Amino acid sequence: MPESAAPARIRKRITPYQIAQIVIGLGFLAFVAWRLYEVLVVEHTYGPDTWLKFAISGLIVGSVYALITIGYTLVYAILRMINFAHSEVFMVGAFAGFFVFEALKSLPVGTGGHPFIEVYPIPSIILGFAAGIVTSMVTGVALERIAYRPLRGAPRLVPLISAVGASIFLQNAAQLMFGPQRRTFVNLPALDRNLGWTLTVGGKPVLITYTGVFTFILAIVLLVSLYLIVQRTRLGRAMRAVSENKQTAALMGIDVDSVISQTFAISGVLAGAAGVMWGIHYGQIHAYVGFIPGIKAFTAAVLGGIGNIPGAMLGAMTLGLIESLGPGGLGMDFQLKDVIAFSILVLVLIFRPSGILGEVLSEEKL
Amino acid sequence: MIASDIRQGLRTGMLLAIVVVFLFLIGATSTLADILAGALKLGRAVSLQTVLALLALWLGSQAAKVSIEEKRPRWINTLLRAAVAGLSAGLVIGLTTLVFLRLHESGINLRTYLYQLSPDSLDLWSLGRSAEGAAVFHFLLPLVGCLLGAVLARGFREAPWRSATGRRVGALRESITRPLASAARTRWGRILLYAALGAVLILLPLRLNNYWNFTLGTVGIYVLMGLGLNIVVGLAGLLDLGYVVFFAVGSYTIGLLTAPTPHHLMWDFWIVLPIAIFLAAIIGVLLGVPVLRLRGDYLAIVTLGFGEIIRVLLKAEALSSFSNGPRGIPSIGQPAFFGLPFNSSADFMYMIIFSVLLVIFLTNRLQNSRVGRAWIAIREDETVARAMGINTLTSKLLAFGIGAAFAGLGGVLFASRSQFTGPDDFNLMVSINVLAVVIVGGMGSIPGVIAGAFVLKGLPEVLRELDAYRILSFGALLVAMMVLRPEGLIPSTRRRLEMQQARAAVSPPATPVSPPGPGGTA
Repeated sequence: MPESAAPARIRKRITPYQIAQIVIGLGFLAFVAWRLYEVLVVEHTYGPDTWLKFAISGLIVGSVYALITIGYTLVYAILRMINFAHSEVFMVGAFAGFFVFEALKSLPVGTGGHPFIEVYPIPSIILGFAAGIVTSMVTGVALERIAYRPLRGAPRLVPLISAVGASIFLQNAAQLMFGPQRRTFVNLPALDRNLGWTLTVGGKPVLITYTGVFTFILAIVLLVSLYLIVQRTRLGRAMRAVSENKQTAALMGIDVDSVISQTFAISGVLAGAAGVMWGIHYGQIHAYVGFIPGIKAFTAAVLGGIGNIPGAMLGAMTLGLIESLGPGGLGMDFQLKDVIAFSILVLVLIFRPSGILGEVLSEEKL
Repeated sequence: MIASDIRQGLRTGMLLAIVVVFLFLIGATSTLADILAGALKLGRAVSLQTVLALLALWLGSQAAKVSIEEKRPRWINTLLRAAVAGLSAGLVIGLTTLVFLRLHESGINLRTYLYQLSPDSLDLWSLGRSAEGAAVFHFLLPLVGCLLGAVLARGFREAPWRSATGRRVGALRESITRPLASAARTRWGRILLYAALGAVLILLPLRLNNYWNFTLGTVGIYVLMGLGLNIVVGLAGLLDLGYVVFFAVGSYTIGLLTAPTPHHLMWDFWIVLPIAIFLAAIIGVLLGVPVLRLRGDYLAIVTLGFGEIIRVLLKAEALSSFSNGPRGIPSIGQPAFFGLPFNSSADFMYMIIFSVLLVIFLTNRLQNSRVGRAWIAIREDETVARAMGINTLTSKLLAFGIGAAFAGLGGVLFASRSQFTGPDDFNLMVSINVLAVVIVGGMGSIPGVIAGAFVLKGLPEVLRELDAYRILSFGALLVAMMVLRPEGLIPSTRRRLEMQQARAAVSPPATPVSPPGPGGTA
């Protein structure tokens, strides 16, 4: 904390900014307390089964956010820039999965002429994910080569604008190629998105879909393996070194350009997997599907402490829960869940810009 | 040598293949062919071939480009490069053609998956041939084009008459521009210039018809907003992606206070105008407070979020008693001068011209004031700026507020001119358009912003056929500008010098020395 780092400080003046902070904070807490009291105690709007449903959908969407968030955080940790086009890397993966599933659906196999996707349900899922992952990985790496690498060392605004441009370009290219309509993902035979286990809570059924559980478990597996890569392997060590200091890392014999490329590849893998999961679980994709999850994932990255991997996971899960429980808890319209997520972002930036798990960074890193 | 030739040829070839296949998939080849067919009165197939051949020629000339270290490659190397480029591009394009046309012939409707591949555009692409014939043609065209392009480019570069002609053309241009430039620098010359400009600005709206007044008025509103964002992005170096918020505040203020529907206030235009501008500035400062203490990247995302929030809020049914929800606000008040209505397209054109001139004047004065220098200092290095005694937070807030005020003015003019405003006028694309205007024109440069608005908002009006590709090319343009010419079309002097310095610092390749032993790299 800066206060303890400067023992020689003689007197502390409360700045107008701090007053504003206190006022905003108290106002926010009072508002939340009032709404929670209204909803939980006075009106009893929802039963326990509904709350459980909200929480489950929050965990699922949080696990998808977590995979995207990691992409932002890794790139930020290494290049100190926000990869704006990351949400489009996610979208491209979702489309690749969609096309592979469509092709497998119309591909007849064997003598009976049944479609591939029904004869080999598990290999189809693997193929779909592989396509999404590879496409997103290639997109991410190409993006870095074309739009970011030539700009290394330029003023900070320059790569940021380039990233915004790349994002718009990819969105519109996808829309022109694949059309403006929404696409419905194939409902996989092995993972039907309407089926699941049923729990009984308070006398009412709560459906836990297979796709939801699958998404959650796959996300956790990917996140744990990513953590192991970063902490245990040679590449992970190189990534951490480059993140600390590029010049010194280069002097230690690390090929900085290659490490950066591999970082973009890893982010692409996670985003691609997230894209295919999104399609399987939610069922619909379109060219702008990445926009809102992208901003949410960035919010989650800031919430957890940008550049910090466990923080990113924690932040994403927290954000997923807040945005699915929030509108119900505050008794608001569900259209406003995006507004709640952004308000969280602004509040975090006011009160703790380093995030939940972020250390207090120096000015240069922040 | 040969290996490097092949590598370079492959790279060029892949570039050509990707460009052609991409243009085909987004339907741009058909559109370009149609434009050419309309302009030159050619058949569509011939036009398509011309477009593709021109692309191949251009890439071929790129293949013949000489890098700095090799002084003069032999002809055989140039030809090898071009041949490799043409072959690889031809293979990819030919195979793609074969696959798509075969699918098309077997009766699959490609359009369900790839939106632009309508039977019509596929027929055009096949040039009246069978799938195999078209594939062979699309294989041969890049090959021949690349070889020809390389030969032409090389021959042209080494032609003996070239340098002499270049010098003569340069001298001719010099002899025309220099007297004009020096004339414009004298006092009378400048007065004459301004008088001519003023006369044009006064007479122009009267001479134009409604359509052009409206179009140029839109360009003018974008100049206004561009100049506002220029203060925020160009001078103070803060990337604001939610600039549409202030535009919306201006529009909705004039809408809610002068229109009869949601509130029935119906105040006078001239009273609401300053209120709207002031309100936009206040909102700008309020939004700035939480984020301006942080680094620029956060600002970009947070402002992007604000831009989305305002649309969601304006659209929300829950607030429709205040803002009329998704229906928007009709019959917004228009200005009047001493009882006379002042609301034709030409009248609004005058108002927009006046506002633009006012804003140019203000920006110019601000730029060279103490505040303007503080902004530039913050953009360059915030820590040093603070050490120099600049109150960075106040200066940034001021930039945000003034930029917002200009956008508010733009919003008022926009809403009042079309007498209607609704939540769908304020999507992310408005922010991106304005940003593109500033970036393409040249950050921090007033003439640049004006030129940018004309290029990005005026040109698409002329090239209506390409409208579908407008946003796409904005995106590509932003990236290309950043990579190739980050200072913009008409850069401010300071910005140009900076960017050149930055490039000079980067240009010796920053790759690390390869480690001496094995296992040094990750």
